[in-house]
Amino acid sequence: MLAGALLLIFLSPLVAQDLCKDSKDGFKVRLSIKTALGNDAYEWNESEMFLFRSTVAYAMRKQTKQDTYDITNILVCNDTQRVSFVFVVTSPDDPANMIPKAEVEKAVRLNKHRINSAFLLSDMTLEFVGIPPTLEAPITYETQPWLIVFGVVIGAVAIGIVALLMSTASKKRRAKENAAGLSEEDEGIVKENGTALSGLGGREGVFNQAFSNDDRFTQL
Amino acid sequence: MSKEARPSWDSPMQFVLACVSYAVGLGNVWRFPYLCQMHGGGGFLIPYLLMLVLEGIPLFCMELAIGQKMRLGSIGAWTAISPYLGGLGIASVVTSMYLCLYYNVINAWSFWYLFHSFQSVLPWAECPINTNRTGYLEECEVASPTQYFFYRETLNISSSIDENGGIHMGQALCLLLAWIIVYLFIVRGVKSTGMVVYFTATFPYVVLIIYLIRGVTLHGAWNGVKYMFTPKLEQLANPQTWINAATQIFFSLGLGFGSLIAFASYNHHNNNFERQAVAVSLINSGTSVFASVVTFAIYGFKATFNYESCLERMRLLMLNTFDLSEETISAENVTEWIHHLNVTYPEKFASIASKIEDCSLQAELDTAVEGTGLAFIVYSEAIKNMPLSQLWSVLYFVMLLLLGMGSMLGNVTAIITPLGDIKFLSRTLSNETINVWFVTVVLLWSLAGLVCLLCLLLGFGFTSRSGNYWFTIFNEYAATLSLLFIVFIEVKDIEDMLGHRPNWYWKVMWAAISPLLLFSLFIFYIINYIQGGTPTYQAWDKNLGKSVVQEYPVYGQAFIALLLASSLSCVPLAALYAACRKKQRGTSLRQHAVNTVTSTV
Repeated sequence: MLAGALLLIFLSPLVAQDLCKDSKDGFKVRLSIKTALGNDAYEWNESEMFLFRSTVAYAMRKQTKQDTYDITNILVCNDTQRVSFVFVVTSPDDPANMIPKAEVEKAVRLNKHRINSAFLLSDMTLEFVGIPPTLEAPITYETQPWLIVFGVVIGAVAIGIVALLMSTASKKRRAKENAAGLSEEDEGIVKENGTALSGLGGREGVFNQAFSNDDRFTQL
Repeated sequence: MSKEARPSWDSPMQFVLACVSYAVGLGNVWRFPYLCQMHGGGGFLIPYLLMLVLEGIPLFCMELAIGQKMRLGSIGAWTAISPYLGGLGIASVVTSMYLCLYYNVINAWSFWYLFHSFQSVLPWAECPINTNRTGYLEECEVASPTQYFFYRETLNISSSIDENGGIHMGQALCLLLAWIIVYLFIVRGVKSTGMVVYFTATFPYVVLIIYLIRGVTLHGAWNGVKYMFTPKLEQLANPQTWINAATQIFFSLGLGFGSLIAFASYNHHNNNFERQAVAVSLINSGTSVFASVVTFAIYGFKATFNYESCLERMRLLMLNTFDLSEETISAENVTEWIHHLNVTYPEKFASIASKIEDCSLQAELDTAVEGTGLAFIVYSEAIKNMPLSQLWSVLYFVMLLLLGMGSMLGNVTAIITPLGDIKFLSRTLSNETINVWFVTVVLLWSLAGLVCLLCLLLGFGFTSRSGNYWFTIFNEYAATLSLLFIVFIEVKDIEDMLGHRPNWYWKVMWAAISPLLLFSLFIFYIINYIQGGTPTYQAWDKNLGKSVVQEYPVYGQAFIALLLASSLSCVPLAALYAACRKKQRGTSLRQHAVNTVTSTV
């Protein structure tokens, strides 16, 4: 009787290990603590493993809404230097039975961000091999931002066109007035060599300094 | 005395800035660094500067001389020199027309990227997520986010030139905006252009300087700059190096389009264009070298980033496969560890052999890209990795826009000036006293508006799904051969007109060396076309996530031939037409002379 009890006590962790090692329902987990935290990296030890098991148990509780999940239901094996290991989840009602992979995957996916933050890691540095991270939904805009900028620029351009139109209209008006003014004077102007004197700027002509009475330069 | 004063630049500085703005364009940024990389880094400067002296400066000065002396656009100027050469002007206008059609599409892309830079996360930084949020879109995974953004979201490119699709509305809107802005810049002729070039000529340098400072302070930039300046002098023995140097100088200065003639035609007759020609050519080449320093700094940064990411991936792969502690492998000893693990655990290593990448900084630096790929894919990839990437993105695309717009000014002026001159000629001949400004304004309004509208409507074709393939046809064939032909004939005929040049340098260049260079380039291009077999293009394969080589279909090749023939044939056809007219007029003139003689008697 005592031997049987002793056997059970010693055997159960071994059985547990076997359950973990042989199972196909296990997930490999990989943590890259040094990559993520650099100098602030913490040691990976038994306490951290304890935390991990409790977070997975928490995830299972949330997913299945059964409060019976305990840390003893989370079995871990193949612990390596990399800080990677395999874990399986056993059913709380029957420790020999394992929860199928799909269930565990769903639980982990839904609570990944909680698990990540418990370890100060991210989706890249805390990997569950076989469970792809749920990517953040892309930001959707009601109006595309590029259309807004486009609208601003083309509005400025439209203002430029309007300004151009107005300045040309006023120039045309001025030109029409000039042309009307000039055509009245056409009859009265002497034409020399076929060209009108209209280019000389008015009826007074141009002041020609050569014929001025300025005595500045001719002092005897 | 002529009543109509031709509009002119407010100051010689405006003219110089207009030439700089025209000559310094996208080619300085995306073609020269590529050539530098392909042909031995710093060593490429030797053939480049030699060609500048032998070919670039003389030809540039020649075009300015023609424009300034004749005071007309390309058609009028060449017709005035000799009626048989009117075809040269027409060929220039046709080539400029083709250039205008497709060049503004690049500006449309710059606008598109610029507008998309105003987001918290640059859209080409990350792949879009697929519908069930488990991963990224497949096409983006296979290619890269920047390539995906360019080929899929910007162009929505089809997989070959045969497949047409609808017009990309965003692209069409950006093209419309680009043409409206070009129109606004040239609507008042030299007056408006002269104002604009103060900005378009100088601001790109501001951005380049900012980028230079940012670039050389980036991690790994020094690798790129060192790579560029290490000359590989054995490349000088490669004839392709010299050919590329000659063609780069030629196309970079924008010769043969008639833009320089048009700009110079608005000069005062005693403007010192020789000094200006030397100055602008030197500025243009200096900008190329400056831009390539910036580009290589960016290359170095990108290559180092990719190299270090590769090393990190390999490190993780080793750690994960062999379950080693994180501290054992660091970035420095990854390669040694790979080797060690290969030896110690061969079977396990063989299982991941397919994922092993050969990380090499040299290989990353050796990937040479040019053209739109460099400007829109490589640069945006580098920008997304910089801190404050939105700011750098905005700055960069504003610079591209200014460079492109500045060149467009010259291109559109090259079309409008000669066409406007034709009407001017007819008006002066008819001797009406109409106010000059009225005529000019109405003319420029309608002519400029017509040209811009026509180019816009035709340009919509480039915004369709196969538009980029047609763009490539124009980019490679529309202007290359015809320009060489045009300028070659120009330089042969210039001696008759300007034989009184005292300076021996110009005489030697114009008479012998430049024509010889041009002729050999022309022959080389023709040989290349003939030997190259069926022309091919790069088509984007969305399943493979990269470009594959495809042959042009028959109608594509026919179109290329049409492009080449349409501009080249202008010269002989116009000469023929002039000869016929002369014969006709010769008989009618003799008739007229007889009549006048008899009437005066």
